[in-house]
Formats: sequence, structure tokens, C-alpha cells
Amino acid sequence: MTENLLTVRGLHKVYGKRDSKFEALRGINLKINRGESVAIVGKSGSGKSTLMHLLALLDRPTKGEILLDGTNTSKLKQRQLNKLRNKEFGFVFQQFFMNANDTVLNNVILPLKIAGVSAKERKRRAMHALTIVGLESKAKNKASDLSGGQKQRVCIARAIVNDPAVIFADEPTGNLDSNTGAKIEEILFSLNREKDITLIIVTHDEELAEKCDRQIRITDGRITSDEDIAEERELAEMAQEEKEERHRKHLSGDMDADGLRDDATVSHVKVKEVK
Amino acid sequence: MKALDIIKEANQSLLRNKLRSFLTILAIFIGSFVIIISTGINAGVNDFIDKQMNSVGGEGYLEIMNTNATQQAAAMFSSEVQEYSEEEEEQSTDIYITEEQIEKAKKIDGVKSFDALPSAKAEYLQLVGKDKKIKVAHINLVPRGNLNMDLIAGRKADSDSDNYEIILTQEIAEAFGYKGDSLDDILGKKIYLAIPGTIKCYTVQKHSDCQTKVEAEIVGVQAPGVLAMAGSRVNVALWNKMSEINNEGVPKENTLAVQATADVDPDKIDDIKKEMEDIGLTSMSLEDEIGSIKTFFDAMLTVLKIFGGIALVAASIGIINTLLMSVQERTREIGLDKALGMSNGRVFATFAIEAISLGFWGSLFGIIVSFLIGQAVNFVTHETILSSLPTFQLIIFRAVDLISITLIIMLIALLAGVLPARKASKKDPIDSLRYE
Repeated sequence: MTENLLTVRGLHKVYGKRDSKFEALRGINLKINRGESVAIVGKSGSGKSTLMHLLALLDRPTKGEILLDGTNTSKLKQRQLNKLRNKEFGFVFQQFFMNANDTVLNNVILPLKIAGVSAKERKRRAMHALTIVGLESKAKNKASDLSGGQKQRVCIARAIVNDPAVIFADEPTGNLDSNTGAKIEEILFSLNREKDITLIIVTHDEELAEKCDRQIRITDGRITSDEDIAEERELAEMAQEEKEERHRKHLSGDMDADGLRDDATVSHVKVKEVK
Repeated sequence: MKALDIIKEANQSLLRNKLRSFLTILAIFIGSFVIIISTGINAGVNDFIDKQMNSVGGEGYLEIMNTNATQQAAAMFSSEVQEYSEEEEEQSTDIYITEEQIEKAKKIDGVKSFDALPSAKAEYLQLVGKDKKIKVAHINLVPRGNLNMDLIAGRKADSDSDNYEIILTQEIAEAFGYKGDSLDDILGKKIYLAIPGTIKCYTVQKHSDCQTKVEAEIVGVQAPGVLAMAGSRVNVALWNKMSEINNEGVPKENTLAVQATADVDPDKIDDIKKEMEDIGLTSMSLEDEIGSIKTFFDAMLTVLKIFGGIALVAASIGIINTLLMSVQERTREIGLDKALGMSNGRVFATFAIEAISLGFWGSLFGIIVSFLIGQAVNFVTHETILSSLPTFQLIIFRAVDLISITLIIMLIALLAGVLPARKASKKDPIDSLRYE
């Protein structure tokens, strides 16, 4: 059922040289499946941003490799990486990064403009993206006239305008109050659920991280814990089912030493199937 | 990203900083304006000279002087101190064209005619049967050959004819009362030339007693021109008659010609000039004469163009400065563009095209302003200092010049844009996004 999207093997990133050398990542191994929502959490300086930049192909690792859809990205040329980012990724930043003097529509259009989509088509798609975030009425407004929450929604529209496989969100609610932040989270998670877009969020907001399927905790350039909530949830559900079945069998009186072992075998098969 | 998008974007970002862009464009404008105007004047002068050349024709027409005479003329303007030498003096005193030289010159291959011209002068002109006398300051010859006169009526005086023929200038014809539509009426009229006898005039009581009136036919009227050979013109037969009367009683050796004209085969003109040189004669063609006017204008306009070029160099430093500021200001924007997949090449192109646009707008304004000023100058000069030369337009704009100037300025702007554009394209997306 699940499909592997990103595979990371032995990732190292070193900044600087000799005395000023700083090892931001010290061997990261990671697999992210299509449609997952992943939170990368850690203190500032832990290497979580570096990891996101590498995953988003904005930077190249010192050592190790990143496979996207089975393709080894370290073998790709800069031009191909640019194209891949443009087509497969969407970005949402804490500081928004919008062209304040330009219209909302033009800000959303930017990735399509870079991709070389025709003027008519890119307008249609940008309007569609704006409709998804509920800002179609603001298309002609200047970006600087919007509130913080609206700006971040425009950025989400910009991130999804090219139908990406992954959205990378760097502290997407960091600059927003809790109400507007909640709304942004809602939009991001509904995109994750309904459009099956993989969500990779870098944050130190534990509450936001809790809402993701999985939390990858980074400390000093290493993954210190990787909790797959969905898996846990699934396992929990399975255990529950098992329990219920056993309970049912127990009620039907089918209760012997062999029966117990049989049940255990069945549940093992079940788990395999789900995985 | 398509080329049109990049051009649009580049111009939009120029509009974002209106004052800064305007000042940069202004700097380019100053350079382009100077260059366009001087090119325009150059074209105007050349066009006029060409027109004059065409109207005069004159291929194969040579004016000849004894080389000693030209050297003496040159020596007058020289401050060089020379030691006196008797021998040299003996040789060089002779500024006349000798019989021997005339004979030799006539035998040069390609020389069709050679007229040595002793000086000749007239004192006034008077239409036969009329009282009005017009003073003559200077009279010229219609040489043999295909030298065209810039005539507005009638025909050229025939120098191969034995009849006395004269071409009047437009001003003199008008002074006699023939102007506009009636100008043609003066053709065929007889006119007196009052010709003085130089020696005779010392001996007579009344000045008019030493004048001989010679009757000639008016065959043409000449348009005003800028070339040195302005003034009324007579044919060779009349010239010789005038000279004969002027020099009556003067010893033969003192009436030799200082100047000569020759009609030669235009294809052999360079060889002929060389051979003339060998027999001690310096010859000058119309091209040579006009060439010196051209050289003067060319030198003046080259200096102007150099100033324009210097202004452009300064302007391109302005372009570099403007774009460097722009790159810095837009660091985060560049970071975002790159994160969203824009290639280094496109980032480079965006700034390079911004530079080219600055150049384009600068030269476009240069063209517009030069054109307006040029029209005004042409109008004013036409009414004033150049009113006597209706065919002369001081400033002429040719599309080829304007387009090539614009292209060159755009190229200069592009070169200026390379440094900032490279800087922008080399930026790291992550660092750029973090830039405060």
C-alpha cells in the first residue's frame, strides 16, 4: 500500500574547512513514504534545517545519498535538480518570501513562470490554487496589503500551484498567532489527506509536530528518535482487533492450548499484510 | 521561463526603483545624445558635400599651380627658420607656369586640355542698353571638360566656343531685376564687361578711358554654393580676351600664368598628378579640395564622438552600480527564484536584460531628443545662417546610424551588466533566503 518517496542513506553535511569545520549532519538514515506527514523537530543548531535543505535538494550533501522516487539525486546535474524542485516540490517559509510590490496572483504564478507555462494556463492554475486556500477574491490585491495569515495562505497556494509531490514547510506557523496558525495547519493537513501530498515540516512547535504522522527528532546532527505515529496507531488498532477476536473466540468456547498458538499465527500474517 | 517574461520582468524591476533607473538612463542618454547628434551632423555635412560634388561633377577637373607657388604659400604660414641659399632662391622664385611646363603637361597621357590662365579681371557689368552698373569683385573661368555648374537657369558657358559667353550668379541676375519666374528672361541678353588695361590706367586722366567694354552673351545663371569657385564665370575665349586687355603693354615674361586648369581622363587622374609633379606642377582635384573640408568636419565630429564615448563609459559604471545595488536588494528574491527552480542562467539573463533595457531606454530617449533638437536646429539654421543654401540640412538622421548606435549602446550596457548578473547568478539559494 505504501510507496517509498525519499530514501536517505548515510547523510553527512560539513560546513567550513579545517579549524572552522562544523559537522551539521553526522550520518542520517531515513525513509519517507508518499502521503506521509513528517515533522522534523529539534533545537536550533541541531541540523534540522540543514536536513530539510538537503531533502529539498537545495544543497548537496558532503557524504551519503538521497533517492527521490528511486533516482539517486547526487548523480543529477544542477539543471535537472532545478527542474525537479520546480516540478515536485512546494515550499512554505516562516518569513513568507513574497514579492510585496507584486499582486497576489503574480506571486502564486512564479513557479509556473519559471517552468515556462503559457500565460493563460498559469493564470488558470494559479486561480485554482488560490481557490483552494480561499483567497481567490484577493488575486488582484497587492501582496503587501494582506495580513500575515493571508500571506502564508498565498504562499501555500504558490507551493501547490505546480501540483507537487512534497511540500516542505519551514516553521510555517512561526510568524503567526495561534488562531491563524491553526488555520494554516488545517490547510496543510487537508492537502496532505485529500491530495496525498507528502508534508515535511521543520518546526520546534511540539503541538504542530504532534499532529504529524511521524516525528523525527534531531540532536547534534543525528536522529535520536523516529516515532511513526501512524504505524503505532495501526499496530494499536491491530492489537485491539486481535484482542476483540480473542475475546469473541473465548466467548464461543473455542479455548484450548493449540487455539492460542493458531490465533498468534493469524495475527502475524495480518500485520504483514498491512505493512 | 520565456524570453518575453524575462524582458517584462526586467523592465518591471526597473520601474520598481524609478528614480534610480531614471538617473542611470539619463547618464546613458547624455552619451547617446552626443553621439547621435554628431553622427547626424556628420551625415548632414557629407550629404551636402556629396550633393555639391554631384552638382559640380568635376571628375577629371584639375587646378594646377607651379609647385614653387604652393611651397611659397606654405612657407608664409610656417615659422620654421631656414638658412638663406642663393641657389634655392633662384630656383624657387619662379612661381609662374612656364611655356616649357605647358608643353610638357599637354603631352601627358590622358590630358585632354590644358589652359594656362594669366590673371584676368573686369570692373563692372552692364546690360547692353541699360544704365545700371554692377561692380565685379571676382570673376571665374568655366574650364573645359565635364565640370557641372550648379545652374538654376540656362546652360553652361561653352569653353570650346570662340563666342564670348558668361554665366551670372543668381545675386547679380537679381540685381539686374530678373528674379523668380522672370529669371529665364535674362538668358540670351547681351552684357558689357568693363575691362581695365593695367598700364593704360596709369596714363589716362579719366579712369573710364582705360576701360574697354567687351560684349558677351548671358547663357546661364548659377545657384549659390559653398565651394570656393563662386562668382560669375566666363568661357575660355572671354577669359583670354580679358587677360589680353588687362596686360596690354606689359612685357610677355610678366604675363605668364600662375594658375592653369586641365581636363583629364578621370581614370588616370592619379598618374597624371604624379607626372605633373615631375615637371614641377602641383595639381588639385575637386575631391582634394572637398577632402580638406571633409577632414576638418570629420576631425571635429570625431572629437565630439569621443566625448560621447567617454560619457557612455561613465554611464556604464552607473549601470554596474545600479545593478549591484539591485542585486543586493533582491537577494532574497533571487534565493526564492532559485529555490523554486530557476537556473543560474536565467538569473544571469534577468539582470543582463535589465542592463540591456537600461541601454535601450537611454538610447531611445537619446534618439527622440536628438530628433526633436535636430529638427529645431535644421529649421532655425535654414531661416538664418544657411538660408542661402536651401539644399543643406545640417543634421540628418539615418535609420542605419540610429539602429547601429542603439545596438552598440545595448552591447555596452550588456558588458556593464555582466559583473552584477554574474554575482546574482552565483548566489546560493539558502544563504540568499537567510539574507537580512
